[in-house]
Amino acid sequence: MKLKAFIKAGLLSASTLAMATAAAAQDKAVRIVGSGASSGVVGIFGQNSSAAMAAAFDKINEEGGVKLADGSKAMIETEYYDDRCNAEEGISVLRRIASTDALVAIGPTCSNVAEPLFGILQAQVDDAGDTGLQFPVFTDVAIKGGLAGISEWVFRNTPSEAKMYDDLFAWIRAEHPDLKTIYGGVEEDFAHSRFTWYEVMKKAAEKHGFEVVGEAQWLLSDTNFSNQARAMRRAEPDVVAISAHPFTTCGMLREMSRQKIKPKVLVGLTSSSSLETLSGCPDEAQGLTIPTSFAPVNDNSKAAAEAVVAKGGQMDLHSASAWENAMILKEVIEAAEIEGTPASVEEDRRKIRDGLAALTEADGLLGVNVRQPDGEAVKPFVFVHAQGKGWEVLHDPKS
Amino acid sequence: MDFYFGLLQIFGVHTLLGLSAYVVLLTGQVTMAQAGFYAIGAYSAGAATAMFGLHILPAVILAGLVTAGIACIVGFPALRVKGLMLVVATLAFGEMVRLFFFNLTWQVERGGEMVGPNGAEGFRAIRYFPENGWEVWHVTVFIWIVVAVIMAALWWMDHSRAGAVLRAVGHDETAAQSVGLNLTAVKVGAMTLGGFIAGVGGGIYAHTVTHIEHGVFGVLLATFAIAYPILGGLGSVFGTVIAVLFIQGFLIEGLRFVGDWRSLLFGALIVVAMNLRPHGLLGEHAPNLRRIFGREKTEREALNTKEAK
Repeated sequence: MKLKAFIKAGLLSASTLAMATAAAAQDKAVRIVGSGASSGVVGIFGQNSSAAMAAAFDKINEEGGVKLADGSKAMIETEYYDDRCNAEEGISVLRRIASTDALVAIGPTCSNVAEPLFGILQAQVDDAGDTGLQFPVFTDVAIKGGLAGISEWVFRNTPSEAKMYDDLFAWIRAEHPDLKTIYGGVEEDFAHSRFTWYEVMKKAAEKHGFEVVGEAQWLLSDTNFSNQARAMRRAEPDVVAISAHPFTTCGMLREMSRQKIKPKVLVGLTSSSSLETLSGCPDEAQGLTIPTSFAPVNDNSKAAAEAVVAKGGQMDLHSASAWENAMILKEVIEAAEIEGTPASVEEDRRKIRDGLAALTEADGLLGVNVRQPDGEAVKPFVFVHAQGKGWEVLHDPKS
Repeated sequence: MDFYFGLLQIFGVHTLLGLSAYVVLLTGQVTMAQAGFYAIGAYSAGAATAMFGLHILPAVILAGLVTAGIACIVGFPALRVKGLMLVVATLAFGEMVRLFFFNLTWQVERGGEMVGPNGAEGFRAIRYFPENGWEVWHVTVFIWIVVAVIMAALWWMDHSRAGAVLRAVGHDETAAQSVGLNLTAVKVGAMTLGGFIAGVGGGIYAHTVTHIEHGVFGVLLATFAIAYPILGGLGSVFGTVIAVLFIQGFLIEGLRFVGDWRSLLFGALIVVAMNLRPHGLLGEHAPNLRRIFGREKTEREALNTKEAK
């Protein structure tokens, strides 16, 4: 009798202890907050990133959360702030995030927000003379080249467009040796699209022997492209490269179709390899070739894409980065052995920053992402082209 | 706490932008040039500190003076037209300034790096404050000292002959001219003063965000500039401050949590506010500070006591 009572008491104590431990684990939480444009013209990018982050953190939490320094597990809490692609709002949002117990921020969406936002951060770590904000930012979407160099608190998991377009034009040259001329179309007032044409696409095309026979410029809010298309038609280019976001890319493609401009190869901006382009101009976009760091080509990427769709978003190269950032941060948090307590917030932020700075490689959805010393990344990519209602892989440079 | 200081910085620079339009609106002129002046101030002050190593104070004053000079030059031809024509003329000026900075590339080497406006890429690394050890609250105090000085100067002007002259022109140009007022001088003077304030505001703005580009200084900013004093009321300088708090504090920051609905509510609440307070949130007349601080009552009571004796 005594033995039975002793066993019962033991079982009861053990189960109570187990429940208490589980409850304690569930009570523990670390906060990783997202920010970006989830409203306005480019709001779809922020909405997709928000959905991808939420889906990734759900997956991490379902698998038990993240391991802290004391061996306990903590859930990841997240929320997403809208900065409407406005610099002042972006800075305000980051200051708000930094004033909470959030350990790191994922964002922003727009390069024109990223530049001022990175500018208010401390430029060099441990520079006592620099009173800039000391808060780690891990960027998913803002893709304009070279921004991570602004501050050592900034890390980006955006693909290297220089490498992507260099490979793309090399491949086009090899596949179509008869093509000689290229015509550029650029959304002139958007930092990313402008930078990509003048500093990336144009230079890569010239490097691989294409003669630039003209350039057409328009603005993000433009709706009429007839003059630009007319000039393009007169130039009779073999290749047309459009460095613009989905909204004006579609406007230009429709006008090109109306004026019967049919280049032999049509190249688009990385950001346009999304569903917005295919839903905006499905017929005119057929054949549009774009390098992208996301395509559902393996089990991991397919599962991730499904999880994001279940959260109400779409997976593209930008939201894929948000997903990857979440997964990379889990690894960094566990490797850095953060405390996850209110008293250790500053110290934990620094550990995460140092952890991100120390990374040389990280697992991504398409393979290994190489981390650069300046905080940038070189990610695996494929060339896709619009076929029917989706993007199909045209070529894998690794193959 | 830095978040709230950051918000106060935004309120401060937007108040300066609104006050720059307030001065011109007093003369009855609706101008959309303030965003252009703000841009000139931002680029001038940014160049002064980031490219030539000036202290922030002379840089901001220099930006104000440069902008005032340009505003004065612009004022002469622009103020020959009235009403909608002036709106169109000043809008065109604002766009001209924006496109000028869109195309302006002028960089110098500092510390092994090229610094300065780089066309559509914008003007990066205007980091005077963090590089010189200014904490966020230092910057906030600096901004609000500038705002307070300008508000006090405008308040004093409003209660002097100069203010009466501006309002006289604003109420009835013909009557003002008939009593010998030089309309051109008054209007150009207001435009110049407005340009100075916008230049100072833009100069400070550039340093709070560290990176500026042409796209910031578009029609939307020009609309905000005139919306602040109109929404707040032209009775006094305080109307502009109240409107800035309402728009930046409540509509933009306060409603951030409503997500996509914020932009819709933004417009709707401004329409509601204008309908409920058609002459502005603080109305057409300056608030009676004596009544607010109770001095008027005390004096009246003293008078009553004296009469009773």
